[in-house]
Amino acid sequence: MAHASTGLVAVLLAGCAVGAGSPMPGPGSASPVRTVLPNGVTLIAQEHRASDVVALQLWMRVGGRDESPDELGLSHYLEHMLFKGTPTRPPGAIDDLIEGLGGTSNAFTSYDYTHYDVVLPAGQVRAGLELLADIGVNASFPADELEREKKVVFEEMSLVEDDPEKYLGRRLNELAYAPHPYGRPILGTRELIQPLTRERLERYYKKRYVAPSMVLVVVGAVSPREVQALAEVTFGRLPAIRTARPDAPLPPAIDRSKRQDVSRAEKQAYLGLAWRGAPNGDEDIYAVDLLTTILGDSPSSRLNQTLRERERLVASIEANYVASAKAGLVTITARLEPQNLERAEAAIREVIRRVRDEGVTEAERQRAIITAESGYAFDIETAEGLAKSYGQAETTWTLEDELAYLGRLRQITAAQIQAVARKYFGDANYARVRFLPEAAK
Amino acid sequence: MRRCALPGLLAACLLAAPAAAAEVTQARLDNGLTVIVRENPVAPVVAVSLLVKMGTRWEQPATAGISNFVHAVMVKGTARRSGSELAEAVAALGGKISATGDMDDSEIRASALARFWRELLALVAELALEPKLLPAEVDVERDFLLSRIQKRRDNAPARAFDEFFAALYGQHPYALPVLGTPESLARVDHAAIVAAYREGYRAARMILGVSGQVGAPEVLAEARRLFGGMPPGGAVPEPVSPAPLGPGRRVAIEMPAQQSQILLGGLAPSLEHPDHAAVKVLSTILGGGMAGRLFVELRDKRGLAYTATSYYDPVRGPGALVLYLGTAPGNAARAEEALRREVERMRRELVGTEELRRAKGYLLGRYVMDRRTNERQAWYLAFYELEGQGRDYPARYRQAVEAVTASDVQRVARQYLGTVTTLVLGPR
Repeated sequence: MAHASTGLVAVLLAGCAVGAGSPMPGPGSASPVRTVLPNGVTLIAQEHRASDVVALQLWMRVGGRDESPDELGLSHYLEHMLFKGTPTRPPGAIDDLIEGLGGTSNAFTSYDYTHYDVVLPAGQVRAGLELLADIGVNASFPADELEREKKVVFEEMSLVEDDPEKYLGRRLNELAYAPHPYGRPILGTRELIQPLTRERLERYYKKRYVAPSMVLVVVGAVSPREVQALAEVTFGRLPAIRTARPDAPLPPAIDRSKRQDVSRAEKQAYLGLAWRGAPNGDEDIYAVDLLTTILGDSPSSRLNQTLRERERLVASIEANYVASAKAGLVTITARLEPQNLERAEAAIREVIRRVRDEGVTEAERQRAIITAESGYAFDIETAEGLAKSYGQAETTWTLEDELAYLGRLRQITAAQIQAVARKYFGDANYARVRFLPEAAK
Repeated sequence: MRRCALPGLLAACLLAAPAAAAEVTQARLDNGLTVIVRENPVAPVVAVSLLVKMGTRWEQPATAGISNFVHAVMVKGTARRSGSELAEAVAALGGKISATGDMDDSEIRASALARFWRELLALVAELALEPKLLPAEVDVERDFLLSRIQKRRDNAPARAFDEFFAALYGQHPYALPVLGTPESLARVDHAAIVAAYREGYRAARMILGVSGQVGAPEVLAEARRLFGGMPPGGAVPEPVSPAPLGPGRRVAIEMPAQQSQILLGGLAPSLEHPDHAAVKVLSTILGGGMAGRLFVELRDKRGLAYTATSYYDPVRGPGALVLYLGTAPGNAARAEEALRREVERMRRELVGTEELRRAKGYLLGRYVMDRRTNERQAWYLAFYELEGQGRDYPARYRQAVEAVTASDVQRVARQYLGTVTTLVLGPR
């Protein structure tokens, strides 16, 4: 898996995310073309002729980390409201347009960015760009729609809470990062969303949704030149309002105080551990990525072989690495019987200790690299998969780094993997969330 | 109103076949095994789907879940390597391999970097033809499966669907959960697993679908070498299934959760039935996408749900058309009533031209998009063959959807949603 894909979907995103990205060139053109329009909008375009579709994605350099404490959840709320309409597009018109063409739309919110995407027939690239530019600055937030959507967001909160794996990911992320902005609830809280007014949301929108915050990614059966021309007459016409993105502080260190037990209705227990990893842009991300794969990416991984297959301590276990712009987190999550909680946690520590002490094998290193290569190769099957990797890279580090990722990954040695195990993965510097069955507590 | 300018262009604008034309080659080995290969140059990957005619359709309550159980044990080792060696071998190809049971079929699914297609196909063959099926692994996997059953029971949406199908199908085997039940798994022993494997894995019951950056002649030759020695086995006996219970029941189940789950639906035509396309359109009008009626009326206009959708999966039959939403317990009664009203409206009123056009566009667009990846393609190739539909099915399906009229939709709404089964699951 590419370093910031699975984990993001599992842990951080609010919305209906699917798929993952890759920076391998697809058929049609060798590499993406990146330009910055005079008003500050970043445009990334690539030809991809696998099918007659085009993926158009608007990535806002706005997310949960940019909210002040009393703005919690507004990035996500905007994500819900943008497809509702503009002065020229009444409620429902956007969905009718996209779906009537056989297209789809999707959106999700993270701490570093907010993402809107549509997939349309290739001939509709202009209509798609006009739509995204329109909702990017002209969303009208009808008052009655805004009120009704509160209930939908509350339902989303409940839905996440009912899903133990998703909820464990959220709780673990929040505990590991708190009080850093990465550790706040991405959906906000009922208390903050309930009194939300149209004026307040619009103020946030006008402040953050400005041209320099926009990254437009277009991948599909269209030439970058054509995309560039169309982007200039749509996104290029948005006002050039300058803005400074609030700088996120460094997250606090994790220590033994980060422990949380949650009583739940499920009969099984869930265990989540989280270590601080390297942020995107850091030179350690390559080795941490490979180490995470070796630890818990597949049935052949060390955690799976040790805790599931050999010691029978867990029913399932996996490791994920989410490298965000300002910090990174490696999580290990497992489903198990409550009586095995202590032994499983000790066994996880022991698996990691062995990597610290003895390193990894050359075969493991090679398998981890080929796993990453394969993840990238599968992602270029679809235009939207490729576009997603570009947008994510542009908003959390750089497109250039993303394109060089696989090459750099291949250079990492087993000794470097062992070194990051020693640097990041201690016996005490992890956060822990446990879901305990009510009866067992 | 940009939309108004569009209808004239629509016929040309709707998503059509992939631009990079893919070659499909099909062959039947002497022993009856069908091999279908799609050459797809898009990405340097390959996907394999080996479908076998074994699934809940052939199961009884006492053996529920045995098809899936067999497959869970199969991946734990072959005559040549242990489960962990198999996992390592697949990972070294940048690949994945899994084996599961379903309703009409079971599947060994695998994928890898295209340059390793030969090794991948060999691993699939090894798993299919030489699984070790050790007695000890049967016991271990039973425990893992019991754990997964518990997980489903603890998960409100998953449990709601299981309970709904049980209520809708009654004595018909589609009522059985694919994972089985704790009672049935306890009865399935090593001898039963071996017998079920031998019964299922016969050449005439198997379809191999391959899609990716591969050459069809080479893949066919390799498939012949790997699978050609299998005994043909007899014809597949069609199961004699009791008729489904028939819709009309309302089941309420108490379970602690933040949301209440509401499912409402009826028995629907099989994949091969002439009404299949009309019911697909009906399902899309109700629950397809963000312009579907459930999303617009129940989510957008009333804030009753985050998820409000419909399901109608292609099966040998009888199928099920299911409307679904999750909502706050305090809204459950209103949401159920609102779902009923949407069903009643479909039966009472003809759908408008524009809405019908939107639904068809969305349905066919999604269908094209869903067949872009090699994993999905490998599965579709094998699945349509398994269901007896052949390779021209996508084109026929497209024509059938385009031909559906508003009165067809109303007719099938009356026929298949005339009486509905309802399931409500949630906190007290």
